[in-house]
Amino acid sequence: MLSKEENERLTQTNAGTPAGEYFRRFWVPALLPAEVPTPDCSPVRVRLLGENLIAFRDTNGHVGLIDEFCPHRRASLFWGRNEECGLRCVYHGWKFDVKGTCVDMPNEPQEYGFENKVRIAGYPTCEYGGLVWAYMGPPQHQPELPKLEWARVPESHRYISKRLQETNYLQAIEGGIDSSHSNYLHATVDAFRLTDSYVEKVKNSNNLRAKYHLLDKAPWFTVKKTDYGLVIGVRRNAEEDQYYWRLTQFLLPSHTIIPYEKGLAIHGHCWVPRDDQTCWTWTISWNPDAPLSEEEWESIRKETFVHARVDPVTFRPIRNKDNQYLLDREQQRGSTMTGIHGFAAQDQALQESMGPIVDRTRERLGTSDTAIIAMRRLLLQEIRELQEAREPFAAQHGDVYWVRSASLLLKRDVDIGEGARDLIKAEV
Amino acid sequence: MIFRSRSCYRFVMSLNGHNRIPGTEDVDPAHIVPVQDFSSNTLRSIIDHLKVSTDFEHLVYREAELDAVWTITGFFLANEADSSHREVVKDLHACVHKAHDLVADRRPVAAAMLLQAFL
Repeated sequence: MLSKEENERLTQTNAGTPAGEYFRRFWVPALLPAEVPTPDCSPVRVRLLGENLIAFRDTNGHVGLIDEFCPHRRASLFWGRNEECGLRCVYHGWKFDVKGTCVDMPNEPQEYGFENKVRIAGYPTCEYGGLVWAYMGPPQHQPELPKLEWARVPESHRYISKRLQETNYLQAIEGGIDSSHSNYLHATVDAFRLTDSYVEKVKNSNNLRAKYHLLDKAPWFTVKKTDYGLVIGVRRNAEEDQYYWRLTQFLLPSHTIIPYEKGLAIHGHCWVPRDDQTCWTWTISWNPDAPLSEEEWESIRKETFVHARVDPVTFRPIRNKDNQYLLDREQQRGSTMTGIHGFAAQDQALQESMGPIVDRTRERLGTSDTAIIAMRRLLLQEIRELQEAREPFAAQHGDVYWVRSASLLLKRDVDIGEGARDLIKAEV
Repeated sequence: MIFRSRSCYRFVMSLNGHNRIPGTEDVDPAHIVPVQDFSSNTLRSIIDHLKVSTDFEHLVYREAELDAVWTITGFFLANEADSSHREVVKDLHACVHKAHDLVADRRPVAAAMLLQAFL
């Protein structure tokens, strides 16, 4: 449980709030490069950390991310004309460059020189790892880019999707690091009931997750604080002399990496507050060693796992709360626990059902929620330290993001820290 | 039952023995106490672990245990309206809430002292 004050402290991210200032110490994913594909293309609206912004790519190819509203009469620059290295408000002609500086003010006498004095918010951007990132904090604290493995693989090795989630970012992270839900929310009915046919199917399977989740439904949890966030370890009994370990990474401020098996694609998320009621879910699948396989592309196309189809303008998932995520009760009776297709929609349905900001004073946690408790405490600690003028270490040290998740079988007497040491290092 | 092995314990941290309170030498703060009830044994084990908890990870485990006790005492109060133990459980429920907040404030020994009254 959290107190009301702690819940508000963690979930409010507008400028000037403690968590809002904390997020503003990191580069955060802002938009897909394809949203502003070419110089002088159409501008797009971007809502981030409670701020309404406009993104545009200027004549030189630089991406600007500026306040949506012209300071003159507060008209939206979304209607603006992207021309000759600036975005011109079509109401009275004021024009702004990618830094938010007013470079032309044609309706005022030139001798007043107003255009040199007027500025709107304009945030630094960077195209990196298949995304446009933004830094919305104080210029003197501009951090390093996080050296995430997925950001450094060739484009053919990676797929990134963006979707709108109608909850606060914290609920989404909690779902991402909550290892115990997958045996239920993402399970088939056969797996949940442990039917003979299911047991037969998985007991000799190469899919370690299916096999060992089946054998031990009450795993043991452990967490370890690191320079970049947390390693969350979940251990299940496997063979007589072995444990099956799954290690999830939580990287500050809001990245996660799902446990993966060597040779397969790795999947991760980044949840960025859009405002306090909604967030952007960035989902990344990557293979460090090879282009994504046809099987992986098939999973993306069919939305079976972590990606979901969205409206191309709003990025709202096709399966959303207005259509009950296309819930199929027949499928729920006979096939899957939810009757909702795809892990992404299953997660979203349950997380959105909790309301935009869940009242954490009313929750009833247990020891299986250790990872969630750890993540909240870590964020609260980091936020408090920033308020005491201690800058977040991870933001200033991009190298610490050089990690990946793992899942592995280990002899029971082997220390997990030793056994997983090489596996959790990124390689690219 | 939840049980934590030595290997798991080593993964989390190495013990910081000199900070320990006498009489708690065998208590492993990297071990999550299994909370299946709010009996004296469970509370005693949580108290012993609180007394030797120093690091971030330890405090997270203690918070999880106290959350679990708060959860089951809360369910008891909601479902056992006629129980003769109701007043004691009500006090324990409130005390666990305070102890939880002390742990969040990095004051596990103060939390242990509060809970001691229920042994």
